[in-house]
Amino acid sequence: MLLKKVNLQIYRAEKINIIMAEKNIPDWLLKNEDYLPQPDRDTFINKSIRSLLSVLSHIHGQSRHKTDLFGINAAFSLMFTILFIVLLSVSRSLVFIIAANVYLLLVLCLLKAEDIVVILKTSFGIAVFTIIILLPTVLYGNLYSITMITPKVFAAVAAINILSRSTRWHSITGAFKTFFIPDIFILVLDITIMYIMMLGEFSLNMLYALKLRSVGRNKSKHTSLSGIAGTMFIKSKEMAEDTYAAMECRGFTGEYRIYRKFKFSFADAVYIIANALIIFCFIYFGKYLRK
Amino acid sequence: MIEITNVSYSYSNIPALNNISLNISKGESVTLMGPNGCGKSTLLKLINGIVIPDSGSYRFDGEEITKKKLHDSGFSKLFHQKIGFVFQNSQTQLFCPEVYDEIAFGPRQMGIIESEVEKRVEDCLNLLNIQALKYRQPYHLSEGEKRKIAIACVLSLNPEVLVLDEPLNGLDPRTQRWLVEFLIDFNKGGKTLVISTHNLEFLQEISNRALLFDEYHSIAADMEMGRILEDIDLLKKVNLVDEYYHEHVGSKHRHFHLHNY
Repeated sequence: MLLKKVNLQIYRAEKINIIMAEKNIPDWLLKNEDYLPQPDRDTFINKSIRSLLSVLSHIHGQSRHKTDLFGINAAFSLMFTILFIVLLSVSRSLVFIIAANVYLLLVLCLLKAEDIVVILKTSFGIAVFTIIILLPTVLYGNLYSITMITPKVFAAVAAINILSRSTRWHSITGAFKTFFIPDIFILVLDITIMYIMMLGEFSLNMLYALKLRSVGRNKSKHTSLSGIAGTMFIKSKEMAEDTYAAMECRGFTGEYRIYRKFKFSFADAVYIIANALIIFCFIYFGKYLRK
Repeated sequence: MIEITNVSYSYSNIPALNNISLNISKGESVTLMGPNGCGKSTLLKLINGIVIPDSGSYRFDGEEITKKKLHDSGFSKLFHQKIGFVFQNSQTQLFCPEVYDEIAFGPRQMGIIESEVEKRVEDCLNLLNIQALKYRQPYHLSEGEKRKIAIACVLSLNPEVLVLDEPLNGLDPRTQRWLVEFLIDFNKGGKTLVISTHNLEFLQEISNRALLFDEYHSIAADMEMGRILEDIDLLKKVNLVDEYYHEHVGSKHRHFHLHNY
């Protein structure tokens, strides 16, 4: 029985060898590799993969929303966010700045938990960075700058993040039309966002490939990474040329018209009232409670 | 060799794999079939350790593959040497200035002496019949040539398992035929093959086992290739066959067709 089994194995091995010899498959490819890898540092590849993944998942999350969160017209969101930041910047009333922060935190409560965490992390991070930069002024006895600028920075960053996470980017670029921004500029912005996504996914796959093929000690990591950068450059050039050719084929002559229907809903009315209150607070606190 | 048990995975709350279980033995050739977006590519990424399951377990050679283990440089490198992945878009795999360097990239990292590296590169070039491309720049080549180089890069690592994502896409019929024959021979050499495709034309030649995914990201069937190709109702359910009117020597009628036939 045992002899029969051994003979069968010898027969199989011989058969494989004959097939491989006919097909020129080399011997080393038929053996299992006796390999023990030497450890190497792949921190840069891993960090790059992680940061690209976070950007791409944010863009994916953006594009998945069928409508803008809260159903507010993007033109109003954009206009009042810009106005809000301008008011914050010019205000010299600490009470108004605190009121603005309270308003933002209330709006933040209406978002998803994961969005709240990301927005608070970013805003606090930048606010702490601002404190560190302004610390020398405290040493010279100037407390005013740190108490005014830090909450302003926190609120401005939070406001922009809330806009970005609650309104689709496509709606934001479309809202530019309301402010008489040329259509061709809006087209370029839309294409740029699309290209960031496509090239991001391409570079992510390249980094994955590099990671999968990095099976030992890579003595020239910079060469591989510059190879990826070079391929990305060529890819982006090819994509740009293809887009140009496709646009020409579709009759593009340099003029581009964007059609957007202006809608006004109950949510818009509530949003406008809330922002009118913010403007009122700015005037009231600025006039009567200025320190 | 590959044991996947009750694995689920989702991309930011969008499910890609739903309670998948499968075992692949050493030397087997398995094809993953299914409609677009059913999770075939995600499963291949999972097998290669690019994504980690949200729930369930994945074992390779008896060892559970976890995020923690893949952070261990030594384990991760040995795992990636044993399992080679040819991406759907071959261009993403090529980042060296010349084809020779591209194929030598893996063996050089493995610490193989340069004369042996040279032999491996030459063998791969001969095997894939791309000697003429030896000193060409990979990004200037055609899609079929890039696919061959991507395969050569993976082969030079001598993996035990070869995973290919849609390997026949974008290739001309002659190159498709060549690749099919190569994969058959490679499998006969005792290596394990895992392929994803919706091209049913060559499947029976490459694999004897098929896993059929449905639109719910689950495995609808795991059976012998011949039986799956005969089960028209099942194939129709997962959009792999279609039905249309056409003419056979003057008589108009309607019946099912496998794609690419």
